Amino acid sequence: MATLTPADTHAHDDHHGDYITCSKGIMSWIITLDHKRIGVMYVIATLASFLLGGLFALGIRTELIAPGETIMDADTYNRFFTLHGAIMTFLVIIPAIPGALGNFVLPIMLGAKDVAFPRLNLMSFYLWVLGAGLTVYSMLQGGIDTGWTFYTPYSIEEGRQGVFWVGMGVFILGFSSIFTGLNFIVTVQRLRPPGMTWFKLPLFLWALYATAIIQVLATPVLGITMLLLAAERIMGIGIFDPALGGDPVLFQHFFWFYSHPAVYIMILPAMGIISELISVHCRREIFGYKMIAFSSVAIAFFSFLVWGHHMFTSGQSPLMNAIFSAITFSVAIPSAVKIFNWLLTMYKGSISFTTPMLYALSFLFIFAIGGLTGLPLAILSTDVQLHDTYFVVAHFHYVMMGSTLIAMIGGLHHWWPKITGRMYNERLGQIAALIVFIGFNLTFFTQFMLGTKGMPRRYHDYQTGLGWSAETTELFHTYHFISTIGSYVMAVGFFLTAFYLLQSLVNGRKAPANPWGGASLEWECSSPPPHHNFDETPTPEYCYNFDHWVWSEEEQGYVRRDAATS
Amino acid sequence: MNLTALLLLASDQPGPIDNGNDFWFVPAATDYADTHDWVYSVVLWLSIFFFILIVGVMVKFAFDYRRRSNFEAAGHGPTHNVALETVWTVVPLLLSAGLFLVGIDTYADFKTAPANCYEVDATAQKWAWQFDHRNGASDSLVLKVPVGQPTKVTLRSNDVLHSFFIPAFRVKQDVVPGRYGSVWFTPREAGIYQGYCTEYCGTGHSKMNFYVQAIPADEFEDVIAQDARWIDDYSGDRLVWAGARLFSRCASCHSLKPKERMTGPSMWDLHANWGKTKKIEVDGKITDVTIDENYVLESIVAPWEKIAPTYLNQMPANFGQQLGAKELDALVRFVRELDQVVDTNGELRDEPVSTTN
Repeated sequence: MATLTPADTHAHDDHHGDYITCSKGIMSWIITLDHKRIGVMYVIATLASFLLGGLFALGIRTELIAPGETIMDADTYNRFFTLHGAIMTFLVIIPAIPGALGNFVLPIMLGAKDVAFPRLNLMSFYLWVLGAGLTVYSMLQGGIDTGWTFYTPYSIEEGRQGVFWVGMGVFILGFSSIFTGLNFIVTVQRLRPPGMTWFKLPLFLWALYATAIIQVLATPVLGITMLLLAAERIMGIGIFDPALGGDPVLFQHFFWFYSHPAVYIMILPAMGIISELISVHCRREIFGYKMIAFSSVAIAFFSFLVWGHHMFTSGQSPLMNAIFSAITFSVAIPSAVKIFNWLLTMYKGSISFTTPMLYALSFLFIFAIGGLTGLPLAILSTDVQLHDTYFVVAHFHYVMMGSTLIAMIGGLHHWWPKITGRMYNERLGQIAALIVFIGFNLTFFTQFMLGTKGMPRRYHDYQTGLGWSAETTELFHTYHFISTIGSYVMAVGFFLTAFYLLQSLVNGRKAPANPWGGASLEWECSSPPPHHNFDETPTPEYCYNFDHWVWSEEEQGYVRRDAATS
Repeated sequence: MNLTALLLLASDQPGPIDNGNDFWFVPAATDYADTHDWVYSVVLWLSIFFFILIVGVMVKFAFDYRRRSNFEAAGHGPTHNVALETVWTVVPLLLSAGLFLVGIDTYADFKTAPANCYEVDATAQKWAWQFDHRNGASDSLVLKVPVGQPTKVTLRSNDVLHSFFIPAFRVKQDVVPGRYGSVWFTPREAGIYQGYCTEYCGTGHSKMNFYVQAIPADEFEDVIAQDARWIDDYSGDRLVWAGARLFSRCASCHSLKPKERMTGPSMWDLHANWGKTKKIEVDGKITDVTIDENYVLESIVAPWEKIAPTYLNQMPANFGQQLGAKELDALVRFVRELDQVVDTNGELRDEPVSTTN
């Protein structure tokens, strides 16, 4: 095909059809410019990656269920945790919320017909597909065992040329991320309908906007790092390789200068989702709107200044460590502010324990632990003890998985009726949310104890013998065993979720336009939304005032008060 | 002294006293470790307080304001409160500042080695440590240090990143190729403490462990002096036991158990085939090679020459260069006469008492 034909414009311009039925055929999806369809493709792609990364996680946990070699040798184990880390970070958590949910809801919540650059949006998706394919293929092909951090000089030793191609994959994924960020910035800046002032924006959009700024500014550093690695390899200029006079710690600086802001690319949109879930499912105005909005921007700003806290034991100067420690604490403040604001939003609310709300409550519980366990890692003396142990593993899973992914899944349930036009089984949803919550805490809370006791991360084995007393092995075995069982419980929860979500597509009840009583613009559209989102330019109101929407037994959803009374 | 004897010794030592943090940490063995644990306790209790506050408020609100009917009107409450918002911004700010200062203070202790340190070198290489004392004594399994006197360990790496970690002392330092690093500690009591490599370094990462043995100051000098000439005590038939001691630095890659595959081949299998002809890869071609003294010797000093099938050329070239003629002889004897020192389960037998020091 010579050019990308916007399949949607020439299709049946059917005002009654929704975005799913308005045009048919596989091509109408593959070359679609509709942000909603691109969003759905991202949902499928990131969830498939999540399944893949999760299977590697189960492999890791099963290997560690008992001391000694359980199901795989050390080399296979090393490849497993590398694949798990790289897939989950680059293919799942970074794109999941902005790419999948953000793409679907951002223009609708804003009151726009699409993002500013629909073609760029489609290109982002295909760059993601290309980058993901290249990354996973070269990792499997080359047996990459460096860990997702690719630290030099291990990663540039002879025989690890494959790392270069993984790097290229990540580089391409970076462009996907930059394009999405650029698109979102321009969309929020330029496509707001009349009356949609900055302080009427839903907080999820503030979070996506802050995220987009980080995506655009931080991701190029990843490209620079790749360029330097290539220069070192091809021209033999010593940059990172000590054998050529380079400095391996410099690589860590470059790596974390991108990857630390990337942590906020992951958590900020999750926080945005939580603001929506809590206010809508408590049907109560958000507490401290401006504080939450500004704290997103503050977190985005600080995220650029704290990368050195990953390197407190790397041998960088004590003065630098002190400065990075101080700035790291500054991130704690806006995060704490958000938690207190969410709590106060529940005060005098009308709280419904729907699945999305259960995920939001899980988030508060887990993020509290994830945030507080960040404190001993920001303090220099305690970080020295805890660095590169399971304490760090537990901490970042509490934040990355327990917070970001839990929020993502909560958001997926929240917007599922809007995306698919079907209601999922609420009872099964609540049960699955509970199973995931229990499984998650079983898996990762024990890892805090493993870490403080000294269990290093990325260890294939802890069998009594060289360096391991029988007593240590026994203690670690107990913790690892509980952790592995927890991971199985979590897997049950996720498979149950997959089951009832897929089931809802087959025979789920038809979703009302507004099942939760939300007041942001996406709930004005039908479920699923029409092809162009809005037939007329909407008139935005303050999206946290829920008085206009009342329950209708007939609709099994919320309707506008004026429509209900007439 | 072999590994089993070392562990027996460890169980006889009076353990360090519980400083109240034994649920979280291995017992503190230095004064610095106590200080560290104190800082951790402060953060821990502060965190527990805030966690209970957050989850308590969450549960109470969730219960008090649960929706009783779908027809319930939307909730209304305050949307901002300047006093409250100021408090919950300023209080965490002050607490963070306090924690930062406490952390800097203890970190300065950790970074500043006292003047009168006992100095020892540690070299990391995939996947073993080498501890060199200034008098020539050397070991790859046990780092011997005096009790009550500060020890400063100077760290170097021969290949990739490693990290030197002793949980009981609360010290850790990455070992970066091309740079020196150091840590210091003062063990309070005699005892044996576990050490780990905590920066991922490949296949044998989880086997790259070691022990620290803290020895009473009055015995320490004698022990180290003895260690410097330990191999002089071994001769004749007993040389095989010297091989057993030297083998500890090979044990992270070579098993003594039948058919156990690690990074390198099992020594038991090698021993079991002594005198026989095996297919070995030489210059990329499969060739018949006789398993004998010369084969073992060559495999130590020039490990890249003959590669056992299905294994990779991974053994460092410099291991053999660090060994003297008598030590090499001891290792060859160890493989040849393995059944004398190792039982059928691959466990080292106890070294006959008359030969220990």
